[in-house]
Amino acid sequence: MTFYLIRRVAIGIFLLFLMSAMFFTLTRVTPGAPISVGENPRIHQATITLRLHRLGLVDEQGNPYSIPQQYVQYLGALIHGDLGDSYINNERVTTLLMQRLPNSILLLGAALLVALAIGIPLGIFAATRQYSKLDVTTSIVSYVGVSIPSFVLGIYLLLIFGVILKQSPLHWGFPLFGMHTGGVDDPLDLLYHMVLPVTSLAILQIAIFSRFMRASMLEVLHQDYIRTARAKGLSLEKVNYKHALRNAILPIITLVAIAIPQIVNGAIITEGIFSWPGTGQLAFQAVVDRDYPVILGVVMLVAAGTVLFNLIADVTYAIADPRIRY
Amino acid sequence: MAQVPPIPIGPAGVPGAVPDQLSVETTVQQERDLAQPGGAKADEFGGAPELGFWRLAVIRFLHHRVATGALIILGIIVLSAIVVPIITGDLYRIQDYRHPFKPPFQSFQHLLGTDDLGRDELARLLRGARVSIMVGVLAVVGYLLIGGTLGALAGYYGGWLDNALMRFTDIIISAPFLLVVIAVTAATGGVRLSTVIIVIAATGWYEIGRLMRAQFLVLREQEFVQAARALGASNARIIVRHILPNALAPIIVSATLGVSGIILLEAALGFLGYSIPPPEPSWGNMLQQFEQYLLDDQAYLVVFPATALLITALCINLIGDGIRDALDPRQR
Repeated sequence: MTFYLIRRVAIGIFLLFLMSAMFFTLTRVTPGAPISVGENPRIHQATITLRLHRLGLVDEQGNPYSIPQQYVQYLGALIHGDLGDSYINNERVTTLLMQRLPNSILLLGAALLVALAIGIPLGIFAATRQYSKLDVTTSIVSYVGVSIPSFVLGIYLLLIFGVILKQSPLHWGFPLFGMHTGGVDDPLDLLYHMVLPVTSLAILQIAIFSRFMRASMLEVLHQDYIRTARAKGLSLEKVNYKHALRNAILPIITLVAIAIPQIVNGAIITEGIFSWPGTGQLAFQAVVDRDYPVILGVVMLVAAGTVLFNLIADVTYAIADPRIRY
Repeated sequence: MAQVPPIPIGPAGVPGAVPDQLSVETTVQQERDLAQPGGAKADEFGGAPELGFWRLAVIRFLHHRVATGALIILGIIVLSAIVVPIITGDLYRIQDYRHPFKPPFQSFQHLLGTDDLGRDELARLLRGARVSIMVGVLAVVGYLLIGGTLGALAGYYGGWLDNALMRFTDIIISAPFLLVVIAVTAATGGVRLSTVIIVIAATGWYEIGRLMRAQFLVLREQEFVQAARALGASNARIIVRHILPNALAPIIVSATLGVSGIILLEAALGFLGYSIPPPEPSWGNMLQQFEQYLLDDQAYLVVFPATALLITALCINLIGDGIRDALDPRQR
């Protein structure tokens, strides 16, 4: 187990290293320099050189570094936890990320929890009552959930709750493009601002979780030991929710780890649409501004998170299922 | 039993069920066919000829009512996306400054209304459908070519290619795919439709690659492959003639579902301004352009592309599941 862990961590670091090399090269060969005011005679050449030097693109004399040189510098800084400077904001990428990260964790964590809390029971009930109305409804919902990208759902939700219902007597009046300003001091206001983005992010995962849970549960329910348990005279509830569920729910652990990059993917646009001040919105804005150091920073952050969560998932799996040996 | 109607093939065609693949026959499949009621038994009655695996799959698919319905709807969408823009020509970019924001369902001239520049919304939607479907289909062809070939070789030969494939997949999976595509698109310079297709194909093929690899890993150990090898078949022949036909079923399903995934991805890219640039319409950039009108009475400009996207993706997913059921009747 210890050896396995060491090996996994080493592979993870190697992956991150490869990815940083790939993305670094990509962002550096992209046409368009971060400072294209070189022709402006009113800006002193020394100022431009200084600025480009700070971005790690040229040395003190203004001679451009080659891409491998730049990458070595970037890696050196990365080891010290420095992801470079934003082209646009005159701010360190790490500072920007750390400002936004708590907001994103709050939103994505809530979406994941909601998806688990709804998706898993839905899948279980659909499997134990196969072909019932609940089962059919669940499949329909999951089909729609898989077929609708979170940003389109977000737009629909804004339209329904923000525009149409606002003019109706129901008047839920969810905030439209409105920023949450109260911080965590005002939980009710926070919750109010979270409902729509969380819903639009959670639907896809609800669809995936419920579908997967249903299939996994059905597979277990058809196994011999379940029939044995029933034949011994145990109640249906006990067999379903104790014997079958324990085995059926295990693969969900892996699914949660897989879900994380998916939710982040959805969050990039969803946070932009709902003006949620998270890393997704940061990436959204960076993409619009072509602010590559920030994009690179977000990619590295998400990749590190994914590698970490995959590792945690595998370890949890090994602990939860004694049949698995590493 | 035994009465089998001639099989119509839908307008869009069922991938994998096209007649020229009926020639795929191995002993294993013939045995499987024999096990199907209503299939090969027809010969005893001197009736219809023996049915192949793919023909049976088409019949099973057509018995799946929801999937057939979805196929018909998708067929209508695809057909009108191909035909209507040819008839209407430049209508999608003819601006009419006297009638901007014409509400939908008011006149036959502009059935779905007009946008901010007085351009016909329906013509733009159909033009956008072309973009979506073209990107979806071409990128999936790219998936199949790259992922199929590499996956097959990695599964059959193993070794360094196998390792490289798995590591590439690990990298792509752990990065947010949208940002990957955006970074590569930006690096390859300029946002053109061809770039978008190539980038999506070059980064997204890993799923089919892995699936193909898994299939080849299992099938290369099977007895019929050993038999072929004993008879002196070359590696190339074994891969193409013996293993590939047996590995196809899950690949076809994955490719179908891949099309809807790509269409949604392209819309997301369009929404971020990284797909085909205006004035050329795509569902993604229509959503982006008109998101600001959501508050006003012009919300229909957002609702139409969003709904078109939803319906298309839903239909493709339903068809994909129909094909899955048709190709693997044991799974139920």
